[in-house]
Amino acid sequence: MLFSGAALAAAPHLSALPPEAETEKSLVVQAISPQLRRSENDIPHTAAREYLNRSLQVLTGRNDPAAAWGALFSRQEIVGIKLSCLPGRMLSSSPGLTAAIVEGLLAAGIEKKNIIVWERSSRELENAGYEISRTGLRTMGSDELAGGGYGSRIASAGSVGTIFSAIMEEIDALISVPVLKDHDLAGVSLAMKNMYGAIFNPNKFHANRCDPYVADLCSHPLVRGKLRLSVCDASRVQFHNGPAFSPRYAREFGGLLVSRDPVALDFCGWGIIDSLRREAGLPALAAAGREPSYIRTAARLGLGRADERQIRKINL
Amino acid sequence: MKPLPNLSPSPRSRRVFIRNAGRAVLAAPLLLQPWAGTAAAEARPQAREARYYEKKPEKKVACQLCPHQCQVADLERGSCGVRENRGGTYYTLVYGQPCAVHIDPIEKKPLFHYFPGSQAYSLATAGCNFSCRFCQNWEISQRRPEQVQSVRMLPEEVIRQARLQNCPLIAHTYSEPVIFYEYMRDCAALGKENGIPNVMISNGYIQKKPLLELCRLLGAVKIDLKAFTEKFYQEQCGGTLKPVLDTLLTLRGEKIWFEIVVLLIPGLNDSREEIENMCRWLSREMGDSVPLHFTRFAPTYMLKNIPPTPPDTLLQARRIALAAGIKFCYIGNLISDAEHTYCPTCGKLLLRRLMFSVENEGMKGNRCKFCGALIPGVFS
Repeated sequence: MLFSGAALAAAPHLSALPPEAETEKSLVVQAISPQLRRSENDIPHTAAREYLNRSLQVLTGRNDPAAAWGALFSRQEIVGIKLSCLPGRMLSSSPGLTAAIVEGLLAAGIEKKNIIVWERSSRELENAGYEISRTGLRTMGSDELAGGGYGSRIASAGSVGTIFSAIMEEIDALISVPVLKDHDLAGVSLAMKNMYGAIFNPNKFHANRCDPYVADLCSHPLVRGKLRLSVCDASRVQFHNGPAFSPRYAREFGGLLVSRDPVALDFCGWGIIDSLRREAGLPALAAAGREPSYIRTAARLGLGRADERQIRKINL
Repeated sequence: MKPLPNLSPSPRSRRVFIRNAGRAVLAAPLLLQPWAGTAAAEARPQAREARYYEKKPEKKVACQLCPHQCQVADLERGSCGVRENRGGTYYTLVYGQPCAVHIDPIEKKPLFHYFPGSQAYSLATAGCNFSCRFCQNWEISQRRPEQVQSVRMLPEEVIRQARLQNCPLIAHTYSEPVIFYEYMRDCAALGKENGIPNVMISNGYIQKKPLLELCRLLGAVKIDLKAFTEKFYQEQCGGTLKPVLDTLLTLRGEKIWFEIVVLLIPGLNDSREEIENMCRWLSREMGDSVPLHFTRFAPTYMLKNIPPTPPDTLLQARRIALAAGIKFCYIGNLISDAEHTYCPTCGKLLLRRLMFSVENEGMKGNRCKFCGALIPGVFS
């Protein structure tokens, strides 16, 4: 059986069009299961694959995993999978989940050589448990490329002036794979904030809780036009004292969030962090003076939805 | 450490002043480009504990070097991009890691009243605490250490190289020396010990305590006063004006030699009212002896859509400064008579400049040879 009862009730008809277009709501698929908890710092691959494929099927309205992935990515495209690996193995995008994403793309007919699993640096990837590969299915840091990964073409979007990683120029489509975590300055660091790893000067954009910088960055055509899917690793959630791993404030959550709308995904992730904070006796992010207001700014820019009335959250 | 031979700048004859205008061009720049290798992953910057910061609970740190006062969580970096919190200890990632090393005439900085005609062994690391949209050196100042090609050059080596290259001065310049504070400080201390004064070419965005420590070690400072409005600083630089004014006041109180540069950008900071306000403040707070340089903007980085500053704007700014009582006001990046130094008492030409060459027309020591007036600065 593909779907749980609740998910089936909410599941879209298996039409060619994505459900968002029909409902004018952004879909966020959420899975929470003990199977998605980390074992030796990694989500078990089979569980990651099962829940991810089911999420894609719900998102796309296809009843076959390959068709679901194929509805989002076409065979000839070059697809980048941007991981989030700053905190090391304890709190980075899980290799098991990444492998499941790669399998989905391969199932859609995308060639290995057209898939790039990447982060800012190879060192961060290695620290998170990835093996660097520079040929075939590439797994590498942007810093492996000439010029440290950054050319000289200046990109501007609102308040942000920057240079993108050459990988952002090369790819046709992007998948953002953040970890569900608190961020000392931004409030939360999820699908949109993950794009800070795609530019050469992220340190310049942390004032005012990263607002409007995250939103402005994601409004640039290189991000807005390519970010097609967000897959948030919520197997282990850092609900306070992020972005580094801090065991005292981490929860083995066993979760996965998937959406085509990065704003909606970030909005839902923010809600989870706030609920875990409440359970731990901590104030909500807004009360703590760290409201991730860039999420609503992004919604105002038309990058997605940050209003629960406009988000359809489906629990697998 | 054994002291190196004394290379203190000595009084300059007219011939000495003229020399080496083209030397900076002839001396091949060591490096000034982004990282061009293919295995930058190996190039993780070496770290040294930072000097001005406070440890906070839960492995956080509060940087106390510049007015940003970054609160930095574990594994994160400050706004400068070159200081990183590793497990609750704050590190500079650029100590002894210059990415640009050149030999420049001191006039290029510009410092016009500080050993004119001298060559400065000039260096910079990656990073800056500002994000000026008009930065001429953005290819290093806006990058992180791992994004540029650097060389290992500890302070002892900097002193040795300056001596080998017959440079009587060392300049910390190009990017923003405040963010490589520890490196600059140690170079300055060693330079002082060995008779090679160090100068800082800076935006002045630094806290008072580290600045005071520097004042005891440096020979001179040049401060870029980017504009005279908070709006400009916030929108164009990613900083604020007031701390820069505070730095100028501190420098004034410390009696260290310093000069001020204002880059005039059409439509952004060149209104008559703003220049008048700036000059009134400078005249009142700095006195009449601090040299003021108005320099010409050239389109670059994120301000390629703005034309170069019209010469008339620069000339008008100079007139305003002189009318406000500022005795030494220069125009830079434009060939004109306003590059020269004139005696404020008798009006005679003292130092004739063309680009970066200097010719002594009327200085004797630190006085006008015609009327004997004392010329402020460090000439011998």
